[in-house]
Amino acid sequence: MQATWVFDGRSSTTVSAPGDVLAPSRIDERDSGNGVGQFARNDRPMSILKKVFPKGDTLLVWFCKFLSYLPLLALLGIVGELFFQALPSIKVSGFGFFTTSDWKPGSSYANPISTSGVMHPPGAHFGIVPLIVGTISTSLIAIVIAVPVSIGAAIIIVEKLPAKLSGFLGLSLEVLAGVPSVVFGLWGVLVLGPFLSHHITPFISKHAPNVPVLNIFKGPTGAGEGLLTSGLVLSLMIIPIIASTCRELFRQVPVTAREGARALGMTDYEVVRKVDIPWVSSGIIGASVLGLGRALGETMAVAMISGSVTGTFPANIYSTMSTIAATIVSQLDSALTDSTNFFVSSLAEAGLVLLAMSLMANLFARFLVKRVSGTALPVGRGV
Amino acid sequence: MTQSLASDITTGPNQGDFDYSQKRIDDASSQLQVPLKTIDLSVGFSHSTILNEISLSFPKGTITALVGPTGCGKSTFLRTLNRMNDHVRGFWHKGSVVLDDVNIYDKSVDPLVLRRNVGMVFQRPNPFPMSIKDNVVSGVKAHKLAKRKDLLAIAESQLKEVGLYDAIADRMDDSPFRLSGGQQQLLCLARALAVGPEVLLLDEPTASLDPVSTSSVESLISALVPKLTIVIVTHNLAQARRIAQHAAFFFNGELVEHGLAAQVLEDPEHETTAQFVTGRMG
Repeated sequence: MQATWVFDGRSSTTVSAPGDVLAPSRIDERDSGNGVGQFARNDRPMSILKKVFPKGDTLLVWFCKFLSYLPLLALLGIVGELFFQALPSIKVSGFGFFTTSDWKPGSSYANPISTSGVMHPPGAHFGIVPLIVGTISTSLIAIVIAVPVSIGAAIIIVEKLPAKLSGFLGLSLEVLAGVPSVVFGLWGVLVLGPFLSHHITPFISKHAPNVPVLNIFKGPTGAGEGLLTSGLVLSLMIIPIIASTCRELFRQVPVTAREGARALGMTDYEVVRKVDIPWVSSGIIGASVLGLGRALGETMAVAMISGSVTGTFPANIYSTMSTIAATIVSQLDSALTDSTNFFVSSLAEAGLVLLAMSLMANLFARFLVKRVSGTALPVGRGV
Repeated sequence: MTQSLASDITTGPNQGDFDYSQKRIDDASSQLQVPLKTIDLSVGFSHSTILNEISLSFPKGTITALVGPTGCGKSTFLRTLNRMNDHVRGFWHKGSVVLDDVNIYDKSVDPLVLRRNVGMVFQRPNPFPMSIKDNVVSGVKAHKLAKRKDLLAIAESQLKEVGLYDAIADRMDDSPFRLSGGQQQLLCLARALAVGPEVLLLDEPTASLDPVSTSSVESLISALVPKLTIVIVTHNLAQARRIAQHAAFFFNGELVEHGLAAQVLEDPEHETTAQFVTGRMG
């Protein structure tokens, strides 16, 4: 009965008798200023049967439901619109889009011709294979460099550095993540590219062994624009993403597990190899794919550094090339001048392919995470 | 050296084979082996002092229980014995910890090798994220004590020694995190024993376990002597009475009293110890 006084005004006088543990005066003392105390002061507690805003809850629920479906709607809208834009290109190019390597907008001065009911400039032919190769190889270079660097940086920040320095380094990682990609692009074109082509790549090219796989390092080194420079700049762009995620992951490794390894006489390296990394391995894969997604879709920097060469495969790791994203941004302007809209349609199809690639990378990561967490633990679980 | 063994406990008729008294110590030292002892050990972090001039010896092949109220420094003391505090920022020490006549804080001592000889098991089971078998032999691998083909046999024999093998014989390649808490702690004991330590430090090894698991861990610990020298920190006085031959009572960073467990825990000399062991202070 004592519990009901708060809600029922009529009984409030009876329960405020001295000695009652829930008497309003006691609560006043404890909670003066907040809601409970005010009930008691006003001496007119609210009834539980009365609804204050009867429609408020329902409205909020529906509004939130709508908001939660918005991302899904946006995704469906983007995919649908992209698909409709790409439809003419799909009709004309067909499967050849994924097997050929020409990237020719055709003649815009001649009269458009019709194939399968779609108007397009004569000589127009689009094959996306070199762009897929460019996209995957730049991202691969970026990932191969960025993942070890990020793991190393994250471990040193979490485990070894004094708090102040690790805080500062963590902050600078976040600042690096905020650098606009066009600034990275400028730096790549003006500083990194020339530096590499003048001082580094000729040396590597000269001394690389002429055996399969490693012979991609041989051959002409170019002027500094191309695959290697793009990959390096991309790796710099994704290091902050992967490293700051890894930093949070390593913070979750329980101290007890780490101490257990040290108490067995393991070296720092063994503690990292045997405990830290396996403990969060699934998270590291997730972080890497987050970085891979950024690398696959990165546009501006690559468009500036890659050399924007479409239609040919890179001959070695220094070759100029282009990626899907970079091609879309650098060619959209001229594509919009195509009166038949076929060029734009082809770019839209390229966009669809890029979307599918990111999606596949994500699915692959989920698969890996599942496999890894079968033997180790998912992040945040355990002792 | 013998000074470190000195104490003000007088020789009583009920004392066992180990004698703490100053007079008898020289006669006894021929039979008596003390693999591990601390001499005037003071320990602290930055500006604070946690332990003040502790001189304590751990006779070979016995279990010594360190008891005392929370925050009295017994865990810090334990962690100083295998240099686990080296990783803590601001750690400092004075005096020495002597293992087999070598000061373990000497520059020539490699803490990694030291920790092989002085093993440690913690309050909470802390298996590594690898299979049960790999957990047991992880220390063996790290110190390169065996060939790769012998690892499975080592893992099996260690698990048999801690009495865990029958329960998990068909799960050697599974994750240890699916084992019960007690089984995990036995696994951690097997892991610590696999590298062949001469001293084992136990930091409240049963604090997070249920009574049944506690009794299996306790009986294992009792079975490990006299092969090993064991130092156990415990909050559980009943446990100390059950398994320990010697006991030391810590209070506010001081070693108040030490000697045979029966004496320290049942009939202490000092008033603070008496208050603690009778439950008037805890």
